[in-house]
Amino acid sequence: MQYALLLYENEAVYAEEGATSLEAIIAAHGALAAELAQQGVLRGGQGLKSSDTATTLRKARGVDTLHDGPYAEAREQLGGFYVIEVPDLDAALAIAKRIPFAGDGAVEVRPIIDED
Amino acid sequence: MSLLDQTARRDGGRIVAALAAAFRDLDLAEEAYAEACARAAAVWPAAPPLDPAAWLYAVARRYALDMIRRRNMRRANAVEPPAPPPTAEDILTADDRLIPDERLRLIFVCCHPSVAPEARAALTLRLVCGLSVAEIARAFLVAEPAMFQRLTRAKRKIAQAGVSFEVPGPEAWPGRMAAVLSTLEVAYARAHEDAAGSGPHAGYAREMLDLTAVLTGLAPDDPEALAFAALVRFAEARRPARLDPDGAMIPLAEQDPKLWNRALIAEGEALLRRAARLNRPGPRQLRGALHGAWALRRSLAEPPPWATLLALYDLLLQEGDDPFVRLNRAVALAELAGPAAALAEVEALDADRFERFQPYHAVRADLLARLGRADEALRAYDRAIEMAPGEAERLWLIRRRMILP
Repeated sequence: MQYALLLYENEAVYAEEGATSLEAIIAAHGALAAELAQQGVLRGGQGLKSSDTATTLRKARGVDTLHDGPYAEAREQLGGFYVIEVPDLDAALAIAKRIPFAGDGAVEVRPIIDED
Repeated sequence: MSLLDQTARRDGGRIVAALAAAFRDLDLAEEAYAEACARAAAVWPAAPPLDPAAWLYAVARRYALDMIRRRNMRRANAVEPPAPPPTAEDILTADDRLIPDERLRLIFVCCHPSVAPEARAALTLRLVCGLSVAEIARAFLVAEPAMFQRLTRAKRKIAQAGVSFEVPGPEAWPGRMAAVLSTLEVAYARAHEDAAGSGPHAGYAREMLDLTAVLTGLAPDDPEALAFAALVRFAEARRPARLDPDGAMIPLAEQDPKLWNRALIAEGEALLRRAARLNRPGPRQLRGALHGAWALRRSLAEPPPWATLLALYDLLLQEGDDPFVRLNRAVALAELAGPAAALAEVEALDADRFERFQPYHAVRADLLARLGRADEALRAYDRAIEMAPGEAERLWLIRRRMILP
């Protein structure tokens, strides 16, 4: 059985005085991922850039609209994800538009943290 | 005005746009340009350059390349040395004296649909037109720290989300054009309110003629782009008639139409006709028609087209409520239904929102004066004079204030 683990956190915490730094958390993820890889259970995973880099495509009654920022409302439920590699945001949004939904839906397009 | 101020006003936008397009990095472009200006301030008084714009561009470009090299060096421990941005290589071999015109490209970056709509025009004014954050905050009736935040967030979004620096292909135009046009509209409104054309925004009033020509070349079948290009031509055609011999502003209805530039008006009319033939009406065609209605006036002996203007403003309001349109409509209404009816409309607007909008105070002052409410008119004139966009507006308002009983 394969599982997707979806991570939710309060981004504001990284700006707080005395909180664990983003670098420390990334290092901890690195350690966990290495351990899971060694156990042979890791199938993939990526860190996402912060939510203010997100662009959301909404499909409502057959009309596509774009807005700046993450997906916020909770009426739709998370149903899946794609990871794609394309030259720029326009290309990513063009693919997002093609994602099929039975009714209304939304696609949050979020850049993945660069490997370097 | 110093040589640096002059150059920054005339060429700043073009230089920042060229840097941003070359390095695909808005922050780096701004930083490099600021550094070049700082060096110019130190060096130019003793040794003024032959071509100041080229000097700024060359110094900023070298500074930016230097910054990129330093960043790459910091990453030198990586397994493979990262490839330098190809555009930096291109620009190394380019001629320093030639500043490519990348303003249109930068406008498309700033107006990308993934950028928050309220940030697009602000960002364009900052990067393409070189306005200060304080000036932009005033133009949008928001506080300066809020505007600074908005600009910073938009730049970060563009940098982090992978917004392309390419001018989009025709298939993407329908979605992009509206954002670009509303941005240019705001930018042009700022330039146009300065009648003397001597203030900090005068430089890009003329540039807007070039920019809109490029835009209509790229999208010859977009009626709203054609209509905006027409509007800019009508408005610029009136520039020779906007000042009296003392340098005071002359309001549109009192300008001598014989002084208007007929060649520009003819261009505007041709553009508006092309837009109409496409048979897709829109708000910018109405705005173009407003200016076109004025342009039909041949001499001061002919009455101004108030009734046509009022009808067009009513149509514009059907496209969506807009307090700025309602303010302009009140000016036409005053001529047709009297100052009391017009003032009632103006007083119905949100006074807090308009507190920092100069034309609101000027229109109100005029209506109050006509109604004989001198004390209130005086206070409104004082507020309008204080916020006048240029010396010409200030002179005119002072004169109006003086003739109050």
